[in-house]
Parts: sequence; structure tokens; C-alpha cells
Amino acid sequence: MQYSQKVLDHFMKPHNIGTMENLSVTATEGSPACGDQVTFYLKINDDSHVIEDISFQSYGCASNIATASIVTDLVKGKTIEEAKDISWKDATNELDGLPPVKMHCSVLAVDTLRLAIKKYELEKGLKEPEPFSKEVIIEELRSIIYPQAGEDIITLKMVKYVRLDDDGTVVIDLDIPKFDQNRESVVDEVKEHLEKYPEVKDIQVTLA
Amino acid sequence: MERVYLDNCITSKPDPEVIAAMMPYFTEKYYFPANFVSTGSSIQADLDDFKHIIAGSMGAKVSEVHFTSGGTSANNIGIKGYLMANSNKGTHIICSVIDYPDILTNAAFFENSGFDVTYLNADYDGFVDLDELKAAIRPDTIMMMTTFANHVMGTIQPIKEMRKILDDSGHNIALFVDAAHAYGRIDIDVNEYGIDLMSVSAHKIHGPQGVGALYVKNGIQLVATKHGINRLDSLDTGGISIAAIAGFAKAVQLQFSDLQVHIAKIVALRERLYEGIKKNIPHILLNGPDGNKRIAHNLNVSFDYIEGEAILMMLDVNNITVATGSACASQGLKPNYILMATGRNFVQSHGSIKFTLSRFTTEEEIDYVIEKLTVIVQELRSRSPLFNKNK
Repeated sequence: MQYSQKVLDHFMKPHNIGTMENLSVTATEGSPACGDQVTFYLKINDDSHVIEDISFQSYGCASNIATASIVTDLVKGKTIEEAKDISWKDATNELDGLPPVKMHCSVLAVDTLRLAIKKYELEKGLKEPEPFSKEVIIEELRSIIYPQAGEDIITLKMVKYVRLDDDGTVVIDLDIPKFDQNRESVVDEVKEHLEKYPEVKDIQVTLA
Repeated sequence: MERVYLDNCITSKPDPEVIAAMMPYFTEKYYFPANFVSTGSSIQADLDDFKHIIAGSMGAKVSEVHFTSGGTSANNIGIKGYLMANSNKGTHIICSVIDYPDILTNAAFFENSGFDVTYLNADYDGFVDLDELKAAIRPDTIMMMTTFANHVMGTIQPIKEMRKILDDSGHNIALFVDAAHAYGRIDIDVNEYGIDLMSVSAHKIHGPQGVGALYVKNGIQLVATKHGINRLDSLDTGGISIAAIAGFAKAVQLQFSDLQVHIAKIVALRERLYEGIKKNIPHILLNGPDGNKRIAHNLNVSFDYIEGEAILMMLDVNNITVATGSACASQGLKPNYILMATGRNFVQSHGSIKFTLSRFTTEEEIDYVIEKLTVIVQELRSRSPLFNKNK
């Protein structure tokens, strides 16, 4: 599947690219190892909580750059509450779609935005830190896109079982088609997403 | 500028003379060879001519050349045919972690069928470790498989040294060589190199897609692995496009006439490209060896701090076709296995671009690519958080 013209437009001439002076908050998600990383810089009005300015930097492919660019367009001028409602599907639709194997780029852009807003809320005391729980794990797994289908593994019901033990062990059972060449990379991604939580001490993933 | 095609390692533009040579076999001479009937015997005579051309290009005898429906068919028929015919002598085979997927997937197939496979490592420049080869040989080793010129890093393997090590072992070990990327880009004489089985492909040298050849040294035993009616060849049964074979023969004639001049011209263009990149763009890494240990048409360079699919897409918008080893440009979302196995880190693998030139590549095209690439790398680095941090 090819990129849409809109993806190419945002890739070739991204909106709101670069770093920012006097920013309120910045957040980075992804890693050079995966080949995609996004950093957002936000200026938020402390009274109205309107995102007055946003910019980004990207190490990644064409769709990584295009999705970050469209997210900055969608977010600018919105309150943080409104911005939190923007989903990766909204970003994808704005770009007239993405190839299924590229959907994770859209997820990465939206996740990075949400992380920035969360950091801001915690810094400003607008929100209490969320205790780590099974629900947090499931929410995190919603960010993992099954490349063949372009949908997340929770929606696709590929996650059959999740348990969080008191000692920080996470047990997950996945059901992924046996013939699939991406089976192992989905497992790697699950581990990568959960390893960033200091509460997680061990991750046991079983493939059905 | 019209499209600049620098992905000739995947497939190359058929020469107009190749197309012309194929046409009669679509329109008038659309027969299969057969004895006695005039239509069929005239085709047989043509096929004999074509086979002489292919055999001559690699120093083989006519009886040692089999037409196949492509390079991968040749690899399958050669590897499977030899291993199944000789498994009574041993079930150990050797290849390397950086071989072409045809070799690696066949090795995996035989591993699952009870064979032992030793996967040799390769050094930073992509040369297979010959000390490991010496150590890997066992009394039950029956074949070594290798890729003559690596399809990613362009490394030309030391085939003669490999042959010597196999012979010095005192065991009877066949040498299978996938030469698809080397054929028509270096002078290959199968006897001089001591090759037992070798595969080549037409569409890598401006011939048509869907045709190749398998060299089988006289005396090497193969069992048939593709069963069916014997139209042209007892190994690749059924119909093989005679038009494609005609095109293949023409492509070989064109590619091998003045082979050394042709190689020198491509090497000069490749060096022009590499020098231009080195002069204009900092923070780059050459993947594979420098100079004449590299196949003529391949240049592979990693650009630090940026990702290859983005470079590839921007070059595409500028009418330039290249390839990348980035995970983001692969269906499996994994960085290229050869770059990773030879010691590159993730960023160097993701940021790699492979340029493969051809007989049709011009100086103007190379200069255009250097100009566009310089601007593109600068632009993408200005967007990259990794570059800001490191510069």
C-alpha cells in the first residue's frame, strides 16, 4: 500500500517542526533501536490550559514525521482535556489513512502527546500520580499495533490473560496466528512497552 | 530529470536489444523444441545457440548449463537436488549468517529435516570467517553454500580460498555458489574458482525477469526435485519461456562484450558517487569493503542520526529509486540482518541506503543524486532529535 498524498505533503513539508524556547513541557517516546522516536515541545497557558504552541522533532520514517506533524495541527489551540481525546485513529483519518504496517507511527505520535500532557498535569498538581495496576498494563498494551491488521492487540483480542503479581511480575498470554512471521516481534514490543515502568520487575509472555 | 534508478540489485531495466531479441518468440516462433517436426527442431537449434552463449560466459560446458525459471528456482533445484542425492554420504552443511535468503531458507528447511547446519559468521566488511570454515568441516560435511557477492554490502567472497579449504580437508565437499549479484560484474570461470554448482539470473543484468540458469559441474549428482513433463530441461520441468531465454542470451552477450571496460565504467561512477557523498555529507559510514573487494555496482552507506525509509521516500519524491536496510521499510519491521550481523548498531542499520548502479547509469544522474541527497540528509537531520543532541 502506498502513502496518501496528505502523508507525503506532511512528510515533505512538516508543520511545526523544531525545538521551542520557553516551553511548558516536553516528552519523548520511541527509541533509536526501533527506528522511530518523537519529541514534542508544548507551551500551555497555565490558567486556561490551552495548548498555545506545539512543535516536534522526529527520528523516523515518512509516516512517523507525517503523523507527528498532523498531531501538532490537531492540538494547537485546544485545551489539554480536548487534546487528550485525540486518538491515533483521528490522526490517521486526518492523513487519509496509513498502510497497516505503519499504524504504529500514529500511535507513537499520540502516545507522546499524552505523555507530555500527563507530565504537565503532574508537574502542576492537576493530577495525582496513578498507582501502577493491571489496568495501566492493559492501557499500555493498547499502544501495540499488530502490523498485519493495523489494529492494536487489545482490540484484536490477542491478549488472552494479564496478571500483575505483588512482586512486580507481569504475566501475559498472547494468541497470535502460528504462521505469522511477526509473532516474536510482538512479544519484543510487549516487553519494551512494560520495561519502562519501574514497578515491573519481570515480564513473562506466553504465546498460545 | 527522468527517474534515476539505482536499485539494480533488485531488478534491472531490460535492454531494448533484449526486448527485440525476445519478440520473435512471442509472435512467430512460439513453439517448444521437439524432434522431427520442423517447427520444434528450429527452436531446438536456437536453444542450443543460447546455451552456448550462457555456458561461454562462465567457462562451463554446454552440458553443464540448465535453464531455470529464475535465480531462486536455480537455487532450489541445485541445493535440494544435491543434498537429497548425497544425504547417504553425510548430513552436515555449511553456509554463513549473511547469505542470500534463498540459501538461508533452504538451510532452515534442511535443518528441520534432520540435517545439521553450521552458520559461519562474517567480519565487519562482510567477509565470511575462513577460520570458522576450517573448524566447521566434519567427516559428514557434504556441501558449503555461499553468496558470491553479498546483495547488501557488495562483499566479494574469497571463493578460491574457500575451495582450497574444502579440498584441504580431504572430504568430498561440494561448493554451491549463488552468483546472481556477481554474474556480469566480475569475470567468473567456474573451473578456475572450483565451483560445483552455481546459480545466475537474467534480470539482474538487463535481461527479462523469470529466467535464470543453474551450472552443474559434470559428475555432480542431483536428484530431480521439480517433477513433471520434460519440455526443455530435466531439472526445471515444464515450460520455461523461450522468449525469456532468448532475452537472457542477448543480455549476456551485451553485458559480457567488453566486460572489463563495462566494469571499469561502473566502478568509476560508483566512486564518483561515494566521493561526492563523502565530500558533501558528514557522519557517514561505508558498509562493506572499499575498492576492488566490492562488487562493481554496489555502494552502501549509512547516514547517522536519520532513518533510511525517510531518505528513501524523499529521494523517491525527487525521482530517484534506491533501497534501505531500515526496519521501517521492511514488512517484518526488522533492520537488515546482514548489517546487524556484521556489527552495525540499530541506528546505522536503520540509516543505511543501498545504491546499485547499472550500465545505463550516467555521470549526470550520479551528480543529480549527490545534489539531492546532500539537501535531503541536511533537512532530515535538522528534524532529528538525535542530531541536535550529538552535533
